[in-house]
Amino acid sequence: MLVGIDVGGTHTDAVLLDDRGVVDSFKVVTDHHNLLTSIHEALAAVTKNTDKGAVTRINLSTTLSTNAIVEDRLEDVGVIVSSGPGIDPENFRIGNCYVVIPGSIDHRGTVIKDLDQQELKQAVKRCSTRGVRVFAAVTKFSTRNPDQENEVARHVEELSDFITPGHTISGNLSFPRRVATAYYNSAVWRIYNRFADAIQESIRNLGIEAQLNILKADGGTMPFDLARKLPVESILSGPAASIMGIISLCDITEDSIILDIGGTTTDIAVFASGAPLLERDGVALNAHRTLVRALQNKSIGIGGDSALWVSGDSVKAGPHREGPAMANNGNVPTLVDALNVTGAAACGDTVKSAGGIAELAKKHGLSSDRLAAQAVACAVDTIKKEADALLRRIHERPVYTIHEMLEGTAIVPKKLYIMGGPAQAFSGLLSDTFGMETVTPENYAVANAIGAAVAKTTFDVELFADTCKGLIVVPNLNIRKRTPRSYSVREAREDAKQFLMDYLGALGIGVAESEIEILESSEFKMVQGYHSSGSDIRVKCQVKPGVVMNVHGLT
Amino acid sequence: MITARNSMGLIFFPAYDWAISPSHPEREERLLYTQDQLWEEGVFDINGIREFKPDIAVEQDVMRAHFCFPDVARVTTSSHMISAGGAIRAARLVMEGETDRAFALVRPPGHHAMKAVHGNRGFCNINNEAIMIEYIRDHYGRKKIALVDTDCHHGDGSQDMYWHDPDVLYISIHQDGRTLYPGSGFVSEQGGPNARGRTINIPLPPETSEDGFLYTVENMVMPIIDDFKPDLIVNSAGQDNHYTDPITNMNFSAQGYALLNERLAPDIAVLEGGYSIQGALPYVNLGIVLAMAGVDFSHVREPDYNKQAIQQSRQTDDYIKRLTDTVLKSYFDPDPDNSYVDSDGYAVKKKSIFYDTDGIRENQLESIRVCDSCAGVISIESSSSVNELGLGIEIPFAACDICRQEGMRLLEEARESGRYQTVQLINRPLKEYVRL
Repeated sequence: MLVGIDVGGTHTDAVLLDDRGVVDSFKVVTDHHNLLTSIHEALAAVTKNTDKGAVTRINLSTTLSTNAIVEDRLEDVGVIVSSGPGIDPENFRIGNCYVVIPGSIDHRGTVIKDLDQQELKQAVKRCSTRGVRVFAAVTKFSTRNPDQENEVARHVEELSDFITPGHTISGNLSFPRRVATAYYNSAVWRIYNRFADAIQESIRNLGIEAQLNILKADGGTMPFDLARKLPVESILSGPAASIMGIISLCDITEDSIILDIGGTTTDIAVFASGAPLLERDGVALNAHRTLVRALQNKSIGIGGDSALWVSGDSVKAGPHREGPAMANNGNVPTLVDALNVTGAAACGDTVKSAGGIAELAKKHGLSSDRLAAQAVACAVDTIKKEADALLRRIHERPVYTIHEMLEGTAIVPKKLYIMGGPAQAFSGLLSDTFGMETVTPENYAVANAIGAAVAKTTFDVELFADTCKGLIVVPNLNIRKRTPRSYSVREAREDAKQFLMDYLGALGIGVAESEIEILESSEFKMVQGYHSSGSDIRVKCQVKPGVVMNVHGLT
Repeated sequence: MITARNSMGLIFFPAYDWAISPSHPEREERLLYTQDQLWEEGVFDINGIREFKPDIAVEQDVMRAHFCFPDVARVTTSSHMISAGGAIRAARLVMEGETDRAFALVRPPGHHAMKAVHGNRGFCNINNEAIMIEYIRDHYGRKKIALVDTDCHHGDGSQDMYWHDPDVLYISIHQDGRTLYPGSGFVSEQGGPNARGRTINIPLPPETSEDGFLYTVENMVMPIIDDFKPDLIVNSAGQDNHYTDPITNMNFSAQGYALLNERLAPDIAVLEGGYSIQGALPYVNLGIVLAMAGVDFSHVREPDYNKQAIQQSRQTDDYIKRLTDTVLKSYFDPDPDNSYVDSDGYAVKKKSIFYDTDGIRENQLESIRVCDSCAGVISIESSSSVNELGLGIEIPFAACDICRQEGMRLLEEARESGRYQTVQLINRPLKEYVRL
């Protein structure tokens, strides 16, 4: 049996699944000051009526790291960087202990300038005297040559509890993003590990012996032990839970638009031929861009509890939320109240909705019906506009080969999937505005928790080979080895897959070769003078994201 | 978070699946390490810098600028249409005010492609900047444009495109033609009879370094541009002047390129040549992007940069200083042109053009109507080792009535004579670009 727990902004949801579907579910208001309590309560409740021993897997989507970063409850990190020439690394200063050391690596991974040992020692000592116990080491082009980051790590080892070398985060390029991501990783390490300890104890106390995973923003899960070293990967997993949930609940095969209408916000996602899209560069948090992979998702300020207001001639809903709907004992009329008045919904106390809407309408010389209708229309139009903008952005994404320029097909959504409290009420209107068939899956109330429960374990690696230097580097696995000059891209693809399977195997996760897909594979000839000096080979592969089962209906 | 002073569009199209031929320097990975460098530096995360996809040019876009023999499809591939499309996208961004500036980092290059095209010469099939400029004039009205070509090779194609056009000031800074392909670009080449002083050539000696280039821009290029007062400045940003370039002999650097770009302040830059793909392009392009965006570039440096080692000689200093007056005179007081033969109110010239990449020899008879009221109607008779005789007629912007009528008369005459395999017309006032 699988358990999925999603810690949301308002509620924490849990589901228990067996191979036929949802066995039990539980919802509790999230206690943001004590996430552990909410999770424990949800877990205990949802497994109350079951043989605890039958639970094999618990997948958790939490907001712990996200909240810590957004609320600045972070530990001081000694961020030691070396960047060499180019854009001044001062521009990427983050945290209270940021030191730039002389040293430089070029785009081929060749060391141009060794790290200044003296300055490095002094920097580490300075940080340590200030009480810093966690570090981040980031150098430019460390994904081509991790030696200098590893050197910093060695220097810091005795004086620290934890260090994040930048290259272990991702094989992708961007020194500024690598700095921010490594910093955040170390900054939440302790708080995350304490939380992890508590969760594991909590689970043990309940008598459950299950594999424990956390959900990532890209819709895949990561084993808990790995998450302890890469806690930054747990940020912003909420939207991914929702998207994986809908994949599990519906059989999505076409280009589609997914809407998750919540209390404050609506999340918009686009699927191409039934598969969710990835944000190309990595997600941003707290005004810092990171290398954390995420599913493409746009969050807009329209939700069931969006407060209504009138500006000039137009009636608007959101982006502010000032408490729940009047139908649910709130103080100001919201979108849900408007839906009640138009008859599209019957949520809570509709008499209170009518009263609140009437009062607002009178203040602006409108009839209740008109105000409510316009408020709803505003919400629907805004959602449509933002969805169109997202589609345009996706369509205009740069490509770098002639083949993709000519063959690139536009995404033309054929269906609209709607989830969330007010989903049913909006369904007809959205169907008209979008000109598409809409689908509102059952069980959408706990779709997030279902999504967390059924998401597969994923991982990706990038392999870089330079046959002129005779080297292979797989940065996030810390692999650096020699290779013969005859090394080909075909061999690189096989090696990348093997490294991935071996790494996950060592963590107790068996992955079949059929579950691995090659995302990118290229081989460029290098020409020195007038002859070919070798090949530059780049392979990116991942465990195919997806769900372990489809869930239809409550058993 | 870094913010650009000038918002900028970067059209980055490296065409990773295309090369002229398997071992040609104009090849798949030419922009690979440049992309690595720009990504690692976080250039695309700079506030105000956005990346765009190129447009794909269509046949009309090419016919607006060139006479392709026998037709556009035969002398181009999709790579050329996308590269030209990259330049067009850059133009659209700036002309429509979506960004302040734009840089099209595209391949293949185009500045050796002339008005008549029979194939590939100097790695170029069609002229990206010219196609872009004609697109601009067609869609946004008549404009005065300064096209400043800083590629190491004389841009003989671009020179040919605008030889007779007083609205487009063509300035080329290049390694002296006596020492490098294509062997042209002397100061005496100053434009056609109706556009004297609107083509400016600045040949520099081999091993010119930062001082020389920056002196040239400051003392020769900027005074001329300041006088011309263009609506738009376009930079053909070739990067083969670099001290590590394998096929040229100059000693320019990434810092130098950035400073040059800061001084020139082009609205649009389009990549041309540059084949030191590991040692130069990543750093030069970083420098140009930061300079154009108005972001600090003072720390941009190649790993092996050594200012003393690439310093030019005193003789070069003196030579370039002495060149100043000659160059300024070519704009402010151009020499009369004796290369044309007068024939019935037309200035006529026979030309022989070699296409090195494709091994084609072209013979041309170029005639321009000497006109006081407009740029003058042009007719080009062209045949080559791969094409029968063809004819191209161009009626310029703001053509006077006589030149318009002459153009149509030449067209009729040509069609009736049956002498030509194809007859093509570029009629700028009517925006008609046809092939018969």
